[in-house]
Amino acid sequence: MSDRRKFLIDDNPFVDVAACLFLEDIADKQGASGMNNYLVSLATSLAKSMPEEEYRTWDQFLDSLVKGESIISAFEDVITITPHCAVTTKCPFTKGWQEYTKRIGTFSKIHADVAEYYNSVYKPGAINSMCIIHQTFRNAAADRIKVAGKPLKIGQIAAVWEDGTRKIAPEEWMPILLEKAQISRTDLNMILRNNADVWVMYTE
Amino acid sequence: MLDVALVSLIQDMSEKAGVEGTIQYWARVGESLAKRMGKEAYMGWPSFNVALREGRTAFSIEGSVTALTDLAITDVDGDVVGYIYALETCVFNPTIVRIRYSVGELPRADSAVAEEYNNSVRDTAVCNFCVIHQRFREEVAKNISIADQSLDCIQLANRGFSGETKITEDALKKIGINPEYVRSLLRNYACVYAIMMRGARLKGESEEE
Repeated sequence: MSDRRKFLIDDNPFVDVAACLFLEDIADKQGASGMNNYLVSLATSLAKSMPEEEYRTWDQFLDSLVKGESIISAFEDVITITPHCAVTTKCPFTKGWQEYTKRIGTFSKIHADVAEYYNSVYKPGAINSMCIIHQTFRNAAADRIKVAGKPLKIGQIAAVWEDGTRKIAPEEWMPILLEKAQISRTDLNMILRNNADVWVMYTE
Repeated sequence: MLDVALVSLIQDMSEKAGVEGTIQYWARVGESLAKRMGKEAYMGWPSFNVALREGRTAFSIEGSVTALTDLAITDVDGDVVGYIYALETCVFNPTIVRIRYSVGELPRADSAVAEEYNNSVRDTAVCNFCVIHQRFREEVAKNISIADQSLDCIQLANRGFSGETKITEDALKKIGINPEYVRSLLRNYACVYAIMMRGARLKGESEEE
């Protein structure tokens, strides 16, 4: 990854830690659902503020995705394992989380609680609050992208947090997701050893 | 990513809650961060300055901060009651660049928030991010004691992303530092502030009386 690209996807630990604490304050007043609503609107608003994209072919889209030119990979380093399986190599919130554990202490339990709420109400794929922002952003960004005239669709397969916690899509969804991603379960386990997120991309 | 997301909310928030609402929001974020970072106690200025150099104090979360130990602040009795500190790079500079390459431009509310802050709170902001920074430092200072005395943080000067500067001459007069000297510091640093003993009687203040 070039220095410029690294600079662009690096997070701002000062803001990340401040925002995490602010989110905890919101949760104190409004509970996990209030925090979840805030996270979802934050990520959706970000995606909506970014320009729409159109690609003539799937290859053109993949090229833009891997180079970090697409809005969907603006904040993360993405590689592709197959033409439909994308992998985020490192969670964009790692630096902020590390700074939090260094300066504040253990990551507050509310960040995992809100993910449970999200998983039960929206889609089961989040480990903590950061995954909610990340996954919501990705879905909202996909809504702004068309490939060969068709809207891009995204499906979360699995995520791994810095401490090794994993969240894999429900068992009954796995055959369809793996088939669309063109990977096997063994492939998935291999990918999860040293990456942060696995997701499938397709058009209908 | 989170930084860019928060900034993308500013325009919306300013339209709904007014720029005053955004100022309150940023101030709460800065205050909450400072409060949660906990208390610190140091035996004297040397141990505080070493902690700062090693990145152990709450102030260090903003990045590389230099203690300008040649610029000691003295009280009416000539005792050292503080120093001037300089932040090398504004922590929001990378965020501004990331916004340029992802969203396109800073929301219009950025300058509106800074302007409102300068008119209604104090004339020290070059952009909307100064609100969070400056409130954060004020709160952090309250949580740190040196020789059992709590601290105050006073904003002295800052330089924005596109070169605009703010120099608070009143504050500099109180601590007896020439504004032109501070202006020259802004060539190398993004933000200059004083950390000193709370309630110290400064030479500049006694001259005013």
